[in-house]
Parts: sequence; structure tokens; C-alpha cells
Amino acid sequence: MRDVLLVRYGEVFLKGTNRPYFMKKLLDHVKEAVAPVQGKAWLGEGRIYVAEFTDMEECIRRVTKVFGIHSVSPAVEVEKEDFTLICRKAAEMMSGLTGTFKVLARRSDKHYPLASPEITKQAGGYILTHTKGLTVDVHHPEHEMMIEIREKAYLSVLRYPGQGGMPMGTNGRACLLLSGGIDSPVAGYMIAKRGVEICCVHYHSFPYTSERAREKVLELARELSDYCGPIRVYVVPFTEIQMEIHAKCPDNNTTLIMRRYMMRIAEAIAKQEGATALVTGESIGQVASQTMDALVCTDQVVSMPVFRPLIGMDKSEIIERAEKIGTFATSSLPYEDCCTIFTPKHPTTHPIPRQIEESESVLDREALIKRAISGTECVRINPGESQI
Amino acid sequence: MIYLDNSATTRPFESVIEEMNRCMRESYYNVSAAYAPAMLAEKEITRVRNRFLRSVGLTGGRAVMTGGGSESDNLAIMGFAETLHAPGTFLVSPMEHPAVLETLNRVQRLGHTIRFLPVGPDGRVNVQEALNLVDQETVMILCMHVNNETGAIQPLRELFRGAKAINSRVVTLSDGVQGYLRVPMNMQDTGTDMYAVSAHKIHGPKGVGALAVRSELRLVPQVTGGGQEAGLRSGTLNSPGIRGFGKAIEECEEGNVPERLMGLKARLVKCLSGQEGIFFNGPDPLCAEKSAPHILSVRFEGVRGEVMRNALEAGNILVSTGSACGSHKQKVSSALRAMGLSTEQADGTIRVSIGLMNTPEEMEQAAESMIEQAKLLRQFRRR
Repeated sequence: MRDVLLVRYGEVFLKGTNRPYFMKKLLDHVKEAVAPVQGKAWLGEGRIYVAEFTDMEECIRRVTKVFGIHSVSPAVEVEKEDFTLICRKAAEMMSGLTGTFKVLARRSDKHYPLASPEITKQAGGYILTHTKGLTVDVHHPEHEMMIEIREKAYLSVLRYPGQGGMPMGTNGRACLLLSGGIDSPVAGYMIAKRGVEICCVHYHSFPYTSERAREKVLELARELSDYCGPIRVYVVPFTEIQMEIHAKCPDNNTTLIMRRYMMRIAEAIAKQEGATALVTGESIGQVASQTMDALVCTDQVVSMPVFRPLIGMDKSEIIERAEKIGTFATSSLPYEDCCTIFTPKHPTTHPIPRQIEESESVLDREALIKRAISGTECVRINPGESQI
Repeated sequence: MIYLDNSATTRPFESVIEEMNRCMRESYYNVSAAYAPAMLAEKEITRVRNRFLRSVGLTGGRAVMTGGGSESDNLAIMGFAETLHAPGTFLVSPMEHPAVLETLNRVQRLGHTIRFLPVGPDGRVNVQEALNLVDQETVMILCMHVNNETGAIQPLRELFRGAKAINSRVVTLSDGVQGYLRVPMNMQDTGTDMYAVSAHKIHGPKGVGALAVRSELRLVPQVTGGGQEAGLRSGTLNSPGIRGFGKAIEECEEGNVPERLMGLKARLVKCLSGQEGIFFNGPDPLCAEKSAPHILSVRFEGVRGEVMRNALEAGNILVSTGSACGSHKQKVSSALRAMGLSTEQADGTIRVSIGLMNTPEEMEQAAESMIEQAKLLRQFRRR
């Protein structure tokens, strides 16, 4: 008898002939996740199993952060030959609970002498007579005792939801524009959840933004790395470009021109990184630079697709998501980011691309971008302890 | 590196480090123990206590050693509030440190009333108007010795003595964290019943503070346990810290501190005066009666304080915007707003705070950088 985790996977189920590829990736990520608590993971029938961990709670926390995992149940592994032992253990696990329950049985081992309905009936009866405060409700039970008969018997009551999604690294690579606000980390999470590896680009405008603002962004990347593994963050010196725009371009167009420069630089870095798409945290109409016309105008300067997973979400929905994935507190630290420092009083909300092009034609684009990229610093972020 | 954030903390004197080192190596005994070495260690602590009380002009009072300025404020406020049997009114300046204001929030939850004292445009409490608020319900009046953001010296004598003349039962507390040993303090003369200080602001160690309490005042302890500090603050005494604190007091008292600091500040003020778009907040910075010698609140027109701070840091000059303890929050300073500054003006302010390790040359270099950066940064302001 020992404690194990039953790890259920989600969409990977739907895969056809390439399923082994996805499964291998997923198992590798689970193995990496449980290694710090000495957990051993292996693939069984329709499940990933984890055992030998030193700290179950921490192990569950880690596994539930792996993309591609549907849910995790802490279970007890029992020899399946002695059915009375199974019933006794099931009753022991249910004791202390009150309310309604039912037993669910699944018999993958078709040679097992008892069929699923029989297991349910006998174990349910045993639990009912050997515990206090529990009654049966097969339709809407408060507790479910799951008995799975596989290589051995596995008994579980609790179930922790995972993140869902696809195993990391099975869907290419994209470059996230990470600002330090609430939205961009959520956007990065949502794309990464679909198995996309991400790298990040951050624009730093010292002295207009402080060292603490930079630290904050690195901490956000660290929080994301808890889900998606090590991340590279490219910190681009952006002061010169912002000052040039501010000095030479018409006030109401400055934000949009700045966004266009950000996209151009991000695309150049993405190409270096082997990424094939850009990701931003924009949502239609949230601010002046995120109106439909402004987004169209921003996209014109790059040839890569720009993914905006938050495009149809309200701010309150984004905040809710940020709280759930654990980036909200860091995003809420007050250090100003480069997007807001020179905000004009009346930014254009319906830009005409031709006019924007004309406005920015006074800038020496190539030289500015070249200098910004050559001054870019690459910071490697690993999952683990917080830096701030 | 030019360190001009001495109101946040100071670098300890070498003699302080040596004294603490020696204490940890040679005199590590628990001062409450019965054997002779512990008694000798205790005597050293007693010497520090007496020195501290003398330095604040309190004879026959108590010196409670604490873990810092915030703890001293907490003990004074909660310790007093918990002795009260009926609801009373606490009068407080709105510019106080969060250690005072947050603690008063707790006092309010006990059923007492909190009222704020009016502040004049020079950042000092307006005594005449303030005294109009004192009545028979008033139980305590709290006012910092020196404001941490503007350096304004508060009119404690007029305020405290005036209040006691109206209601003799009023208890007075001054948070002396920014004032202690940089501005002279005489508790007897000013009518101050309790005075809270911190060691690390006077080139002593962090984690050490003290509360000077007039002897007849009763307080309820906030840390209970073994009954140290006459039952007012339990816990084994931090003997290395307290001795380091004692050493810092000694060095400051012998070091002619107010004059030296004022000399440095005058140099800085001279370099910055008359520069376009550069102003000083608070009272006349060179008036020793009204402005603390180590703090200068400088306002730059058209430049955000935060940006100026970052730019100065790039040139290895460290200053702060507002107070260090509040600047993580980046809210507009309550002290500057209380003086009537606009949000934009408060936002364009940095605090320069001078310590005994600064030199006149550093003042000139810092001023030069500020002038240069102000010109540069002003071109790129929000329009």
C-alpha cells in the first residue's frame, strides 16, 4: 500500500497517430515538475502515475501547473487481490466525511472477478455500514469514492483540476510583448497553455521607468515560468526611440508610432529566437491604441501573425484570470511602464495608416531599431523562488 | 556613490560596528542572568539608557529599548490607549509616519476619536488653529519632531505646552525618528511626555529603537513575556544593538551634528538656488529653527520626481521620492499635499537627506547633476 497521484490528461486523448509524441512530451514535463520533490512519474493505462514523492501537497501543486493535465487525484494504491482490504481502505478514507456519497468503479483489468457494478455495490455497502454521517446519493453526491482496478487497485476521493491545454513545446514558439501590466502575462499564459513555447520582449525606458519596473517584469516572467518552464526575456532599451518620437512626431500619434516600433523590434527578436508569431495582451477598445483601427495600423508593420488571446475579454475577466494564475499581485505593483510615460492628452483613436506612416517618416527607423536591438539584454528566467 | 538618502537609513559609524562586534564576541551574556559577567553587560546597557535620556533632556524618566522606531510608536500609542477606560480624542498631525497613522487606525477601532491638526503652507502644524481643537475630551496629542519629507521642524513646545494649558491631562507623544540628535530635543522644556527614536537614522544599527517615557506615565505592554524593560517590553535585550546605539549617540553628541549637517545643506541650497524651475518645499531651508539640517525637499518644474531619482541613480547619486517606507506604494505624498501642493508639484519632488559621512564636494556634484538632468528631462515631459 502506498500513496500515489493519478494524473489525468486532457486533449491529448484526441490525438491520432501522433499521440505517442504528445504523450512523451507530457510525461517529460510531469517528470520535470515532480523532480524537486523526488517524485517518480510513469505512464500507465490511460493515466500518468506519480509516486515516491516527499511532499504530496507540493507535488500536487506542481503537477496541476503542467499544461496538458486535466486533473490530479491523490490515491492509495492497494493490492487488488484482496477485495475486503479494498473495502476497508475505502471506508477508512471516507471516515470523517459527512453528507452524501457514491462509489464509482472502473475495471480496466477485464479478468478481475468482480464487474464494475458489483464493485460499486459491495464497496458502497461496506462504506455505509462502517462509517458515520454518510448517506448514498447516486445523482448529486457531495463525495465520490473512485475505485479503479488496473495493474493494482487505486482508491481516491479528492480531485484537483489541472490547467488543461496541450503539452508545452508541441505547438511551436511565439514571442510575447510583456509590459508589466495585468494583461500581457495572462495573454502569455493563454498561448503557452496551448503548447506554445514563449520568449518575452520587454521595453525599458530608464530613467523614465525604474530598475524596479524591470525587476517587476522579470518576476512576472518567473511566475509564468512556473507553468511553462525556463523563459528568455529580452530587455530592450527603448528610451532613445521614445524620445525621438516625442521630439519629432505629432503628439496625438506618438502612442501608435511607439507601438509600431515595439512590434518591429519584437518581430526581429522573434526571428532570432526561431519564433513564428507575436503575442500581445491587447483587447479591443481597452485603450486608445487598442481600437480596431489602431490594431490594424499596428499590425501593418509586421509580417508575422499577431495573436491576441484577450481580444474579446473585458478587463474584469482578465483580472479574474490574472488572479487565478497568480500574476495579479505582481502586475499591481505601482511601477510605471514605458507605455504610459509620454501618453499624449488626446491620442488618435481612429488612425489613418497613411498619415501615421507620414508622421513617422521623419525618424531614422533602421538606425533606431538597430541600436535598440544591439543594446538588448537577454535574461534567462527559471521557475522557482521569487526574486522580489 | 553619493548617498543622499540618510533619512531612509544611514551607514553605521565604524566605531558602532566595532562596539557591536566586541559585544558579540566578549559580552554576549543574557543581561538578565545572575552571574557577574551578565551584570557587567547590564551595566553597559544602563549607561546607554542614561545617555539616551540625557540626550533628550529627560531626568527621572524611563528609557524602553525596542526593536525600532515603529515599535516605539506602537508601544507609546497602543500602550497608552489601552489604559483608557472611556472614549477620548486623539489629535494628530496628518503628516505622521504610517507607524503612527496606522496604529491610530487601531485606536479608532477601540472606540476613540481621531482628529487631524491643521498644517500651514510651510509644512508645520498651525499651532493657533490646532489649539482650538483641544478640549476636555482630548486625551493625547501626537506630532512628529521633524517631518521626514520636508524637514519641517514642528513647533512642539508651543503645541504641547499650549495643549497642556488647556487640558492638563493631555498626554503628548513626538515621533523623533527624523529629528533625534539632528535637531536639539528637550522633553521637559517642550512638554513632551513620550519621544520615540530609531538607532539606524543616526549611524547606528538597524533593529534598535527606544522610547523615552516620563516616569509617572503608565503604559500597557505590547510585547509580553519574561518581563524585561520593567515589564514594558519583554524579550532578551539586544545588547550588541543597544551598545551600538549608545556608541552612535556618543559620536553624534561629540560631533557637532546640527552645525555640520546645516553646513552641507547650505552648500547644496546655494548651488540650487536661483536655478530655473527648481524650488524648495517647506520652510526656509536655511532657517535652523524651522528646517532640519539634513533634509531638503526639492521640486523640479516639469520633471517627475521618480524620473529625476532614476536619472540621478544612473550617475551614482542616490536620493528618494517621498519617504522610503512609503515610496513602494507610490502614492502622492500626504505631507506635501497637506501643505497645499498640487498633485503635479508633489509628483515633481525628490527628497535629499544628508548624513555625517557626506562631504561638501558631494553636495556640489549632486547639485550639478540635478541641474543638468532637470534641463535634459524637462524637454521630454508629458504634454
